[in-house]
Amino acid sequence: MADVTKNLKVYTTYGPKNAKPAQPAIVAKMITKAKRPLLVVGAEILKDEKLEKAIAIAQKGIPVAATGHTMKGLKDAEGVDAKYINIHFLGSYLCDANWQGLDGKGPYDLILFLGHKKYYINQVLSGLKNFSNLKTIAIERHFIQNASMSFGNIKPETHLEALDELIAEL
Amino acid sequence: MSELKSGTFSIEELENVQITIGSIVGAIEKAAEEEGDVGPTAKPGISDLRDWDYKLLEKYNPVYTPMCDQCCYCTFGTCDLTGNKEGACGINMEGHNAREFMLRVITGAAAHSGHGRHLLHHLIDLYGKDYPLKVGPSNIIAPNVQLVTGKKPETLGDLDDALDYVEEQLVQLLATVHMGQEGEAIDFESKALHGGMLDHVGMEVSDIAQISCLDMPKAKENTSLAEIGMGTIDPEKPVLLVIGHNVAGVTNIIDYMEEHNLSDKIELCGLCCTALDMTRYRTEGGDVPKAKVVGTLAKELKMIRSGVPDVIVVDEQCVRADVLREARKLMMPVITTNDKIMYGLPNRSNDDVEDIINDLKEGKQDGALILDFEKLGEVAPRLAQEMSKIRKEKGVTALPTDEEFKELTSRCVHCLACELDCPTNLPISDSMTSAAEGNLSPFEELHDKCIGCGRCEQACPKDIPILNVIEKAAQKVIREEKGKVRVGRGQISDPEIREEGVNLVMGTTPGIVALVGCSNHPEGTKDLYRIGDEMLKRNYIVIVSGCTAMDIGMYKNEDGETLYERYPARFLKGNLINVGSCVSNSHITGAAIKVAAIFAQRNVAGNYEEIADYILNRVGAVGVAWGAYSQKAASIGTGCNRLGIPVIVGPHGSKYRRALIGKPYDEEKWKVYDARDGSEISTPAAPEYLLTSAETVEELMPMLAKSCIRPSDNNMGRMIKLTHYIELSEKYLGIMPDDWYKFVRTETDLPLARREELLKILEKEHGWEIDWNKKKILSGPTTKSDVSAQPTNIKRLCKEAC
Repeated sequence: MADVTKNLKVYTTYGPKNAKPAQPAIVAKMITKAKRPLLVVGAEILKDEKLEKAIAIAQKGIPVAATGHTMKGLKDAEGVDAKYINIHFLGSYLCDANWQGLDGKGPYDLILFLGHKKYYINQVLSGLKNFSNLKTIAIERHFIQNASMSFGNIKPETHLEALDELIAEL
Repeated sequence: MSELKSGTFSIEELENVQITIGSIVGAIEKAAEEEGDVGPTAKPGISDLRDWDYKLLEKYNPVYTPMCDQCCYCTFGTCDLTGNKEGACGINMEGHNAREFMLRVITGAAAHSGHGRHLLHHLIDLYGKDYPLKVGPSNIIAPNVQLVTGKKPETLGDLDDALDYVEEQLVQLLATVHMGQEGEAIDFESKALHGGMLDHVGMEVSDIAQISCLDMPKAKENTSLAEIGMGTIDPEKPVLLVIGHNVAGVTNIIDYMEEHNLSDKIELCGLCCTALDMTRYRTEGGDVPKAKVVGTLAKELKMIRSGVPDVIVVDEQCVRADVLREARKLMMPVITTNDKIMYGLPNRSNDDVEDIINDLKEGKQDGALILDFEKLGEVAPRLAQEMSKIRKEKGVTALPTDEEFKELTSRCVHCLACELDCPTNLPISDSMTSAAEGNLSPFEELHDKCIGCGRCEQACPKDIPILNVIEKAAQKVIREEKGKVRVGRGQISDPEIREEGVNLVMGTTPGIVALVGCSNHPEGTKDLYRIGDEMLKRNYIVIVSGCTAMDIGMYKNEDGETLYERYPARFLKGNLINVGSCVSNSHITGAAIKVAAIFAQRNVAGNYEEIADYILNRVGAVGVAWGAYSQKAASIGTGCNRLGIPVIVGPHGSKYRRALIGKPYDEEKWKVYDARDGSEISTPAAPEYLLTSAETVEELMPMLAKSCIRPSDNNMGRMIKLTHYIELSEKYLGIMPDDWYKFVRTETDLPLARREELLKILEKEHGWEIDWNKKKILSGPTTKSDVSAQPTNIKRLCKEAC
């Protein structure tokens, strides 16, 4: 089993509230319980095997917000409900209770993040932490302190292992 | 009775008496009034353009992404504001972040204006207040100054008045940062926009003063090309490196070198905007630039660590705080020349030149503060010659030897501390492994993405000088860093606007893409080349300035050509223009102002709101600060925003912590008045933001095309812009954009080659009614097709019906 919570080092602090460390099984349980989860996938997944993992999670019926140019890797994937959106726009819309989501079916209640630059996603999540009540989970290979929950700092191979465990539990 | 005028007078009866009158109270205002209409907001105070700001902010909502959830501004706290809580003084997270953003903006504006003030004092000392401003074949000499202050400056002395206004306003803005002042985020936002506007005035003052006095190109097309890159510097010669943004003192160095035939004997080179302005100095007649450009702030530490410079001269802005500490290790004397950066060095301004040179070459002092530019002009080149000999004799080397390199790369324990601390999380650990095994290519690739901050070294538990390791590994690449940068041309002239303005407003030139800002590019300098090349091929006008103007010239195609060599430099579609240094950014907003003034005959003086409204609705221009990191970039962007120009920053720009993003799904907000009769008309969300970030270059490309769509586009213009938006989305994201149909008002807005295909999609997926015999849209569009409509956000500009 991949232990993803050992290293929670941060370079600088954002404030008193930090993400809680989360193991893949816990994350899977939270996704299963959520009514309207959204997987936000960034362009870093296009660089390695994370793309397959993102597709596998999406194929479990979780809609995808594809940020950056991630649609390039998702557009032909079967069983994936993905739509492009700029992540800064998404961060803004998610704080608006009137936004009905990418599909117009209503607000989301749990947001997962995978495949983003650490410094960038921490900024987006800082907005969500301070100006929304959303539950946010980072399943990145770095500890993303502004999420509600996050994997720790892990090696690339441990990250892939952790994502496999998460997919298996969904 | 005759009227007194400013200037210098002699009185016949009195021998040896000269009277100088600096300025007459009210004289400039009077002259402005005599010249013609002055709009309602000449020299606006903080609240005078608040209504305009509120209009913008209602549509483009502030989005805060705090970097620190606490406030520690006063001793009431420290206060935890997490979750938008209120602190001890009552301010909440939104208000505090808006305040911090405003502080960032006015810090940048103060840096430019302080630069302008120093330069102006210096030039007035040399040339006098009556020295005429000369910027090229234009009647609108200083569009930002005229727009904001209501006055058309004609002399250096007139610029003094504009700077007085900017300085007074900056003090008023800074006062609101104090505890117990402004409490609402929206009014801090309005103040931030005010600060951004002031910044463009300060920048314009700085640049037109130096253009006028220092024989810099004046709205000149196809200026010379200067050499750029670490690989262009000849280390065999004495090397004199200048760092900063204020060229004032460096001109004395150049003059001294020419007068003493040293220009070929000493390698004079620069980093950051001083370097760009050195290449502009005395090149008005097309002369060869008198210095080489090393590059941007990202090259600062790398250049020093290379051990190549013999003497370093610094002035102001974007100069690393550790230049003296780093230079000391390598026996490079540092000369500071501006009271903004003095590094604790002794003031030698009043000392004898020989004494200064002797003390520095004997190492009695690490450097000197020299505020007397004549002395600086002599000391710096002579000292470089002396130090070159001394440093060569002593065998001063900076980078590790091959043996040391092997030992250093093997010393790495792969704890990943460096990668966690690296601002871009570069793969240093794996590159160390490869280098230890003799494979340097990962480090060579990493070198271009590395911004040379040195944070990795601070984190390394094994004390590996990581930056030196990267630089040693990338020597082959560095030797090949030889690019070209076009010498900054200054402003866009009135005749150029006359020629191209109509195409911009109608949309037949698809837009202006202004690539500006610093060098914190997520994927290296190639990013800029890709953006520039793609948009130039598509006939956008690409304008560059500052560090971006440098970095875009660092990358070449397979034929060894930079974009500057491939594209001409007129203000026309498909042209690449370098306006100049950081302060030359004012010429980009200046061009937009001129479009409104010259093409649409709008009054400029003191008429900010109307001009900004015109630009927002009609001028397809977008700013990109892809590698922005300075406060100055924040103020430049915010000045663009108040004037109705949207700006996109790269992913690092998210750390500015505030964006302005609209909500296209809230359709009620996307309405304007038709100035012909005051009726409300729906518009597409164009632009749909004023400040946002993009994640990758690929995402940025279609965003750029979309950002140039404006409500006033004619059908041909909209068709061209929509074609680029759809094509770029398909090329870089692999999909048709979800919202393309929202920009269609009539079938003639559709890309010609794909009209039938798109009509079918409109019918099938969006339920639009199509007359297939005539291939016409019968119903469906939410925005009306009426190219005669005059969109405006300002009710008072509508005819009587309002």
